[in-house]
Amino acid sequence: MKRIAVFGYSSLSFEAMGRLTPDHYSLLFLAKNTDEAALVRAKGFAAETIDFRNDNELRAIGIGTDIDVIFCFYPDDSDNVFLTISARALDKHVSIIAIVDDPESAPKLLAAGANKIIDPYEICGRKTHEMLTRPDIANILDNTVFGRHDLKLAQIEIPHGSWLDNIRTDQLDLKNRHNLLLIAVVDNTLDEQLHFMTGGNPLVLKCGDILVVMGPTGKIKLFKNEVEHVGNR
Amino acid sequence: MLTRLIIHIAYSLQLSLTYQRSKRFFHNLLENPNSVIKPYFDVFMICLVMFNVFLLIREVNTPLTDAELLFEDILVGIFITEYLLRVWLYRDTHKIILEAYEKATYLGIPFNPAHAIKMIISTKLEYMLSPLALIDLLAILPGYRPLRMYRMLQMFRLFKLFRYFNSIKLFSEILASKRFDLYTLATFLGILVFIGSTAIYMFEFPAQNGHIKNLFDAFYFSVVTVATVGYGDISPQTNGGRIVTMALIMSGLGVLSFFVSIIVSAFNDKMTVLRENRVYTEIGRYNHFVIICGFGRVGQHIAAQLQKDKLQFVIIDTDPTSILFAKQSGYLAIQADASKNQILCNAGINAGATAVLCTTGNDVINVYITLTSRHLNPNIRIISRVNREENVQKFYQAGANNVIQPFEIAGMVVAEYVGQPVAFEAILGIIREEQQCVMETLCVQTDSMLDGQTLGSINFDQRKLLLIGVISENSLHSQHKNRYTIKNQHFYFNPPDHFKLQQGDLLMVMGRDYSIEHFRGLIEKSRLTLRKKR
Repeated sequence: MKRIAVFGYSSLSFEAMGRLTPDHYSLLFLAKNTDEAALVRAKGFAAETIDFRNDNELRAIGIGTDIDVIFCFYPDDSDNVFLTISARALDKHVSIIAIVDDPESAPKLLAAGANKIIDPYEICGRKTHEMLTRPDIANILDNTVFGRHDLKLAQIEIPHGSWLDNIRTDQLDLKNRHNLLLIAVVDNTLDEQLHFMTGGNPLVLKCGDILVVMGPTGKIKLFKNEVEHVGNR
Repeated sequence: MLTRLIIHIAYSLQLSLTYQRSKRFFHNLLENPNSVIKPYFDVFMICLVMFNVFLLIREVNTPLTDAELLFEDILVGIFITEYLLRVWLYRDTHKIILEAYEKATYLGIPFNPAHAIKMIISTKLEYMLSPLALIDLLAILPGYRPLRMYRMLQMFRLFKLFRYFNSIKLFSEILASKRFDLYTLATFLGILVFIGSTAIYMFEFPAQNGHIKNLFDAFYFSVVTVATVGYGDISPQTNGGRIVTMALIMSGLGVLSFFVSIIVSAFNDKMTVLRENRVYTEIGRYNHFVIICGFGRVGQHIAAQLQKDKLQFVIIDTDPTSILFAKQSGYLAIQADASKNQILCNAGINAGATAVLCTTGNDVINVYITLTSRHLNPNIRIISRVNREENVQKFYQAGANNVIQPFEIAGMVVAEYVGQPVAFEAILGIIREEQQCVMETLCVQTDSMLDGQTLGSINFDQRKLLLIGVISENSLHSQHKNRYTIKNQHFYFNPPDHFKLQQGDLLMVMGRDYSIEHFRGLIEKSRLTLRKKR
C-alpha cells in the first residue's frame, strides 16, 4: 500500500484524494491549521496539522521513511517550491507531484525536485480542445477509461522468471485470449521508450519491460496475476 | 408590345443564373471589400495608373511613341469598361422595372415604362454624380483626342488612386466624419483671411509706401501669413501692416493647431472602430471557426492548440490586457462583453461559427454566455468551463453540450498518474498527439469498402493499425459483448472478428497518423469507385 501525504487545501486535493481508493492507498492530509484539519476530517480523510517549513515536522509525518508520494497542492507556487525542496532533501526517492499556478514556476518546481507538474489550466485547455476537435474519442475515453465503466488502462511490469520473458509480442494474442488490447510496451533493456503495438515489428519481451494494456478490470487483474506468477503458465 | 418585352426581359434577368453569377462576380471584383479577388484587381489598377503617371511626366518634354499611345488607348478602354461596369452594378435595373410593374399590377393601374425608365436613369445618375464616379469619368475624358490638350484633366487619373487605396479612403472618411468641425474652422479661417486682407490692403496700399498693389496681393499675403509660410516676396512696410501681420501669424498658429487636433481626434475615434471592423471583416471570410469567450490561462491554451491545428477562431474578452496579449500573439480578438447578443452576432455565431467555448474563470459569466449562445443559435456546440461542481447542472440547463471542470480533470490526472504513470503518460501522449501514435475515428459511410464488412476481413494488422473498438447507435450490434453505454451510443470494446460493420459506425483506431490517413484515403477512394460503377 502506497502512503501519500497531501499538502494544500484545495478542490484539487479533494478530487485527487476522492479518486484514490483506500484499499490501495493510505492518505494523510497535512493542514496548515486546526480548522483546515477539522474540515478535511469531516470529509472522511485522515488529517494532521503541521508547519511545512519545519523539516522536523516533515520527518515526523514520515517523509524520508515511509511516505511514498507527496502532493504539493498549495495555491502559492512559492509554497510548493519550498515544500518540494524540503521533501527532496529529506528523501531522494519520494515521488513528488506539484501543481503550478504560474507556468513560469514549472521549471523551478522541476529544478526543486518535483517528478510531475500539474497545470490545471493547461489540462482544462487541452481537454476543451479534445472535446472540440475529437469529441468521439474524448467522450469514449472519459466515460470508459477515465470514467465509471470498468474499462481501464493498466501497466504490468514483467517480473523476473515470468513466462513472458523472451516471448514475442505477436505471440501473446491478448485480444482473443484475455479480451485485452496491448497498447504499448516500455522496453527497459533497449531504450526505456514507449513502443506502440500498431502492427509494426514485434518486440521480444524481457524481464523489467512494462506492458500497457487496455481492457475490463477483471480481465486485467487475471492477466496481471498470470504475468506475476513466476514460472511456467 | 414594348412594355411586354421589357417585363419579359426583366423577369428573364431575375431568373437567369448566369446573369446573377456574372453580376456577383463583378461585384466581388469591383465593389466587395471582403472578396478575395478585389485586392488583386486593385493592385492591377494601381499599376496601370502609376504607369500612366509615368507617361504623363514623360510627355512633358518628350513626345509619346506609337506604342505608348496605344497603351494609353488600352488604358482608357479599361477605364471606360470599369466605369460602365460600376454604373451597371449600382442597383439592379430589372428589379426597378419589376417593382414598378408589380406595384402597378397591385394597384390595378396600367404600367408606365417611361416612369420606370425615368427611375432607372435617376438611380444611375445618383451614382454617376458621386465623387468617385465623377473622378472615374474625368479620368476617361482625356482619352477623347480633342480634350488631350487639357493636361489638367489627365491629373484626374491620379485621383483614381482614391478608389484603390484603403488608407486614402480612410482619410476621406475621417475628414467627412469631422465635417462640422472643419466647416467651423473654414468659416473662421475665411473671416480671418478676409479681415487680414482688408486690413493689410488699407495699411500697405502703395500710397503708404507699401508693396500691396491690389486686393489679390493682400489676399495672397494674408493666406501665406496665416499658413505660417511667409515667402518674404511681400513684406509689410508700415507699423499698422506689421501689427496686422503679427496678429495673422498668431491666429494662423491657432488655426493650424485646431486643424491638427481635429484630425488627430478623428483618427483616434475611428481607429478603434476600424480595428474592430477589420476583425469582423476577417471573421466574415471564415467558414468554420470557434468563438473563445475569455482569454485567461485556459483560453490561452485552447487558442495555442487551435492555432497548432490550423483551425480558425476568434477571441472575445472584456479585459484590455488579455486582448492586447491575444493580438500580440497574432490572434483575432475583440474587446467586448461576450454575453451581449450583438457581440456574439457580430462575432459570427450564426455566420460560420461551429462552437462557442466559455472559458472565463467566473461560473456566473460562463452560464450567461452559454445561455446567450444557445438562445442565438440552438444548434451550435457549446463547451463551458465550470469551476464549482455544484454548478455543473446549471450549465447543462443553460444549454451547454459539454462541461469541463479544471480541478476535477487535474484530480483525475493526479490519481491516474500515481497508480499507472506509464500507462497514463501513454494514453495522454496519444490523446495529445505528442507520441508517434494517434487515436482517430473512421466513419463507415454508405458505399464504402467498410460498409457491411466483418472486422475480420479488414486486417488492421496489415494496415499497421490497432482497432480499439466501434462506436455505434445501431441496435443490430446489441448481441455483442464488451458493450459500454455512452449517452445515446454504445462503445464496443475489442469487438470480435465476426462483428459486421453498419453504415454510421465509427471505428476507433490507433496508429501512426500516416497509416490512418492512408486507410482513410482508401475508404474514400472505394466510395467514389463504387458510386462510379453504379
